[in-house]
Amino acid sequence: MRRALTLALLILASVPLLYAVSLLPPVGSEDNPTYTYVVPHYLEEGPEETGCENIVTAVILNYRGFDTGGEVTVIFTALMAVFGVLLIPRPAEKVRQPESAVPVSPVTLFIVRTLAPFIVVFSVYQIINGHSTPGGGFQGGTIIGALLIAASLVMGSERTQRLLPEGVRRWLQPAAVLMFAVVGVTGMLLFGEYLSYPIEGEYLFLRVPFLTLVEIGIGVGGAAIVASIFWAMEGSDG
Amino acid sequence: MGGGQWPVVLIITPLIGAALTPILARRRPQIAGYWALFVFSIVTLAAGVLMYRVSTQGPFSYYMGGWRPPLGIELRFDEFSASIGVICLIGWLSLMFSLAYAKHALPERRIPYYFALVLLCLGGMNGFAVTGDIFNLFVFLEILSLSGYALVAITGERIAELAAFKYLVMGAISSLSILLAVGFMYALTGTLNMTDLAMRLRDVEPFPVAVAVGALTLGFSVKAALLPLHIWLPDAHSIAPSPVSAILSGLVVKIGVLGMLRMYQILYKAQIFDLSALNTTLMWLGAISIVLGALFAMVQEDIKMMLAYSTISNIGYIFMGLGLASKYGIIGASVHIFNHALIKATLFLGAGALIHQTGYRNLEDLRGVGKAMPITSAAIAIGAISIVGIPPTAGFLCKWYIALGAIEAGRLFFAVTLLFGALFIFVYYIRMLNAFYFMPPAHPEILDVGEAPVTMLIPIVVLAMLCLLMGIFGRIPLSFIEPAVTNMLAPIGG
Repeated sequence: MRRALTLALLILASVPLLYAVSLLPPVGSEDNPTYTYVVPHYLEEGPEETGCENIVTAVILNYRGFDTGGEVTVIFTALMAVFGVLLIPRPAEKVRQPESAVPVSPVTLFIVRTLAPFIVVFSVYQIINGHSTPGGGFQGGTIIGALLIAASLVMGSERTQRLLPEGVRRWLQPAAVLMFAVVGVTGMLLFGEYLSYPIEGEYLFLRVPFLTLVEIGIGVGGAAIVASIFWAMEGSDG
Repeated sequence: MGGGQWPVVLIITPLIGAALTPILARRRPQIAGYWALFVFSIVTLAAGVLMYRVSTQGPFSYYMGGWRPPLGIELRFDEFSASIGVICLIGWLSLMFSLAYAKHALPERRIPYYFALVLLCLGGMNGFAVTGDIFNLFVFLEILSLSGYALVAITGERIAELAAFKYLVMGAISSLSILLAVGFMYALTGTLNMTDLAMRLRDVEPFPVAVAVGALTLGFSVKAALLPLHIWLPDAHSIAPSPVSAILSGLVVKIGVLGMLRMYQILYKAQIFDLSALNTTLMWLGAISIVLGALFAMVQEDIKMMLAYSTISNIGYIFMGLGLASKYGIIGASVHIFNHALIKATLFLGAGALIHQTGYRNLEDLRGVGKAMPITSAAIAIGAISIVGIPPTAGFLCKWYIALGAIEAGRLFFAVTLLFGALFIFVYYIRMLNAFYFMPPAHPEILDVGEAPVTMLIPIVVLAMLCLLMGIFGRIPLSFIEPAVTNMLAPIGG
């Protein structure tokens, strides 16, 4: 009964939604306002004005950089929420974590260890080259985060966490938020508005380094947060 | 542009402050509170400067990264943005209250995260109030909602986690519905800037816009806990730590109302369709919220549960005022956003102090507490008188305006509902005051507890004084709101 009601409600709600979608300007048509209003400016002037050959990066780091700054804050908020809700008082003495019931297969361990350097190189490439090719801080950071989780699964969290001691981790977790703030405030002091990048003049050479710094911040922060949330949920501290 | 970087200070400072809190408080969790208070003092200063500027020069814009809209993100500081004044005031006082409260109520390890989350929530609200871009609005909505969910659960009690989860599920649905509406608007117009959107919505297909308006109304009504979408509120607001209850009940639910006001600003300017169906719906739901919220509140034993239901009832007043769509109705609703925030913060912080000192939260157990904690009880009494709307307190003015608005719109029935609502509210607050002052104590040892620590007492007293003063100096919020409402209604000749 309840299931039937839910289904009826969903169908009832979906009819106007689907009808509304059918009335939206069709994707691919040449007079669709999403192609004709702001986007031509982004495409024509973007690389010149922002220094990003990758237009997606031009939009997310430059034209709408403030939104991206907000989004990394959302991710950081998620981490704070996980810590605030899950962290329990530290036990007086360190209890040894129980070994997992099934021993880790040596094949998995070998593969993770062998692939690790390649994974790191690939993600660093993604992060540093984000302003000119597809990819960027979010993607690269998630890859490193995933590697840390894989390493925790095969080598145990305690050994993996030694790569990032707690004091270091605390600084890396808000890296994205802080890097946005540093670059944003520098832009504000030098060029007038928060998150401004130079468009011309003597500071033009700073533009690409600034964009790269933000990408690195997003990448490092993302990796630290992904791994920390995993550790916190596993119960072995964030 | 030139000069004023204060909008950036307002939004960015709390976010940076929150990012640094866990680092600074790694070894000594207790300093997190002082740090948060310091950071938020800077924010409050910025809010003061910005409010002064808007009252002397009128609305102004700030272009993020120097990109003019619609290319980039615009912060638009208008009279409705002046709600940062009340956000900063209540935020600052709640942080001060938290100093002593957190030490007692939270596991020590969680204290830095508590303060970081409060800063994020307040920063998110400031951003929400100031931005002029609908996607940016959504981003800030997520920051403040996410931190709100976590703050409900932070005490670690089992029931708190359950309440937070309910809040999370409802909140996620409402966020999704708001995001869908943003997507529709962008697909129709190609722009995300609010001013630009109002212009460009004029010549688009109206049906998808109507669906988007429906989705926004649904989303914001969940955030504002309008009946029947209120089911998450009573548990979440009563279980949360008291300073968090003050922030959630005083401010976060108002964010839903502010979102509605922003939507109306766009719709009145765009004038693409008649809004009377939407207005009538809001008016009725508001009236039902007033009555049912008050009725539920009357049967509660738990003091914070009672306050939570009273919030639902008061949100009803605000929505009724909005739905009346007459000048006085909207002015009354907007003033009630400010005044209810003050009053509810007084009551929740007061209740927090009572619970902190006595350990009891039921009215029956709290009997006689008026003699043991005279200052806190007096503050709660002032809050109670204000919320009923007895002149000359803060609550009177807004209810008066909403009633005038109902008469102005020719809706006498709603003016009567409003009076009945006030009567119900009167009954349950009288019940509370009766228990505090005139009943023999159920637990004799309650007479020996003293007043709360001074950092908890000051915010309560300040807020109670403001409840009284706002009734007398009600002109101050009115001076911000009246021009804003006049501007908003100008296109329809209101």
